[in-house]
Amino acid sequence: MIGMDGIVLAYRNIKERKTRSLLTFLGIAVGIAAIISLIAVGYGMQYAITEELVSFADTISVMPGKLIPGLGYVELGAFTERDIEDVRRISGVKDVTPLMYKMVEVEYRGERMPVQVMGADPCDLEEWYEEYVVFQEGRWIRERDYKGCMIGYNVAHEYFKNDIGLNDRITINESEFVVVGILEKASMVASSDLDPTIFLTTKSAQDVLGTDEVSMMMVKIRDIDRAEEIAEDIEEKIDENHNLEGFTEAMSMSSMMEQIGTVFMIIQVVLVGIASIALVVGCIGIMNTMLMSVMERTHEIGIMKAIGATNRNIMFLFLVEAGMISLIGGILGCILGTIVAKAICTIASAYMGMDMPAIVTPTVAIGSILVAILVGVVSGLYPARKAAMMSPIEAVRYE
Amino acid sequence: MSTMIRTVELTKTYRMGEIEVPVLRSVNLEINKGDFVAIQGPSGSGKSTLLNMIGCLDHPTSGTVFIDGTDTSTLNDDGQAKIRREKIGFIFQQFNLIHTLSALENVAFPMMFTGVAREKRIERAKELLGTLGLLERARHKPSELSGGEQQRVAIARALANNPPVILGDEPTGNLDTKSGKVMMDFLEKLNDKGETLIIVTHDPEIAARAHRIITMRDGILRDEK
Ligand SMILES: Nc1ncnc2c1ncn2[C@@H]1O[C@H](COP(=O)(O)OP(=O)(O)OP(=O)(O)O)[C@@H](O)[C@H]1O
Ligand SMILES: [Mg+2]
Repeated sequence: MIGMDGIVLAYRNIKERKTRSLLTFLGIAVGIAAIISLIAVGYGMQYAITEELVSFADTISVMPGKLIPGLGYVELGAFTERDIEDVRRISGVKDVTPLMYKMVEVEYRGERMPVQVMGADPCDLEEWYEEYVVFQEGRWIRERDYKGCMIGYNVAHEYFKNDIGLNDRITINESEFVVVGILEKASMVASSDLDPTIFLTTKSAQDVLGTDEVSMMMVKIRDIDRAEEIAEDIEEKIDENHNLEGFTEAMSMSSMMEQIGTVFMIIQVVLVGIASIALVVGCIGIMNTMLMSVMERTHEIGIMKAIGATNRNIMFLFLVEAGMISLIGGILGCILGTIVAKAICTIASAYMGMDMPAIVTPTVAIGSILVAILVGVVSGLYPARKAAMMSPIEAVRYE
Repeated sequence: MSTMIRTVELTKTYRMGEIEVPVLRSVNLEINKGDFVAIQGPSGSGKSTLLNMIGCLDHPTSGTVFIDGTDTSTLNDDGQAKIRREKIGFIFQQFNLIHTLSALENVAFPMMFTGVAREKRIERAKELLGTLGLLERARHKPSELSGGEQQRVAIARALANNPPVILGDEPTGNLDTKSGKVMMDFLEKLNDKGETLIIVTHDPEIAARAHRIITMRDGILRDEK
């Protein structure tokens, strides 16, 4: 028997049993789609998070305190003007953005709430958050906006009973400010910075908070590869200024990545977990459809035996057919899975406000199709073999 | 005259849980080349069982079947498949055509297993359908054919590999009298040309055409014509 006969016959069988074939394709496709879409979304998630973090790669955040694993951040003091000037002079430092923030009481239409106020140079602020800020209304604060402020989404819409609108007045520590800009809800990474915060210029922040202490510095560097080295220089310099060993914590993004390395590990583990669940679910689906569709053909296998087919002939015919069905089902599943993943990612991206693409790598696509073929063929051959092992008359009489 | 089929102490026992049901009890039978044998007997007497053993469609519990001199009990699965495709053409009461294939493809199908080239298979299948007056129905599916037509397709399929023996298990059982007669005329002509025919039947008219009648009763061959 020549291979071509097997292919022609398999094609005929698939074509003649349209409904059955369609159901089998679908059974396999759904299994593969589950694998593809879950992995694509998982990869997309990982990509999105990495991408957000990489945009901070040339940044060192400097804090007057210690990050103690398991306990969080303990503030030990504040930076001075001199610290900032000194850091600016360290070689490799491109730019320093001093930030001050504090929780203060804010009043709006007679209602008082504690809100985080951040003071910063508007130019720095704009440069810093440019990628993350989307305005609902209004504009960036400017250096001249001594009595102007920009507010995050939560401040505008969640903290107070009444929504705060553009040009409304709010009272911060007894001084009145005009809202010149209201931000949209921020993406996941920037959300904790932007959403709950009122932004002021450094000058008005100093006045309204009654202090010129700097709570934090964001340092941009020229060469990402030197991040660790520069971070050490910064710590050394400021510790020296304050005459206190371990006063400063300067964290480059790479060390930050290490800090959140566990998060990545968890994501990886979850991903592998999801993939294996998808694999199991998919394979059971494929096995089920294939077992059913071959088992119903026991009678036909009996006829084939009765007219002289050897067990090997029969196995070969079913191998080709199961392979063909699994291949088509696998390809359909890839397409279906990609569509589903795209849909999920589009919705998730919109919901989280960040760019989360559905990533279907060739390895995953080809791997899934191979899995479909392997599982399909094995679970198709099993009942075919069982039928072929029966005596011809037993198989012919099989209901 | 040489022997085509010979059974020696052929026994078949079905096991129904605890109970053993003997269906064939030491059947010794010899059928010559070119003979036309009718097997008769009451329902349940073991006629189909015997025919299935002769056709290598089932394994005996004990005893042997010789086909054209070959002891089939010594053959493995592949050997028995070879006997089935080269020596035997089996016609079932239920036709047992493959319903996804056309009449032509059904007839050509057994030749795939004997390694006949595709064009040759189709040529021979057409020729066979032609002799059975079914050329116009070649492209039809079994479901689009009448019972008589389906059985003629089944005969064509049984003849595809030119087997020396045709076995029919009540081949006219599902046909009207006229179709049954047409079919028997055809088989009789084959027999005239030297084909060995073994037909299980309840129909005395068909039995009357045979050269030899075997009657089965409770798994034992009783009397012969
Ligand atoms: N697979 C089986 N398992 C158990 N018993 C069986 C099996 N096949 C046949 N039998 C029994 O063997 C006996 C003979 O069956 P067989 O089909 O050979 O009869 P038959 O002479 O062909 O009858 P009929 O004229 O009705 O076709 C019957 O009693 C039947 O119940
Ligand atoms: Mg019977």
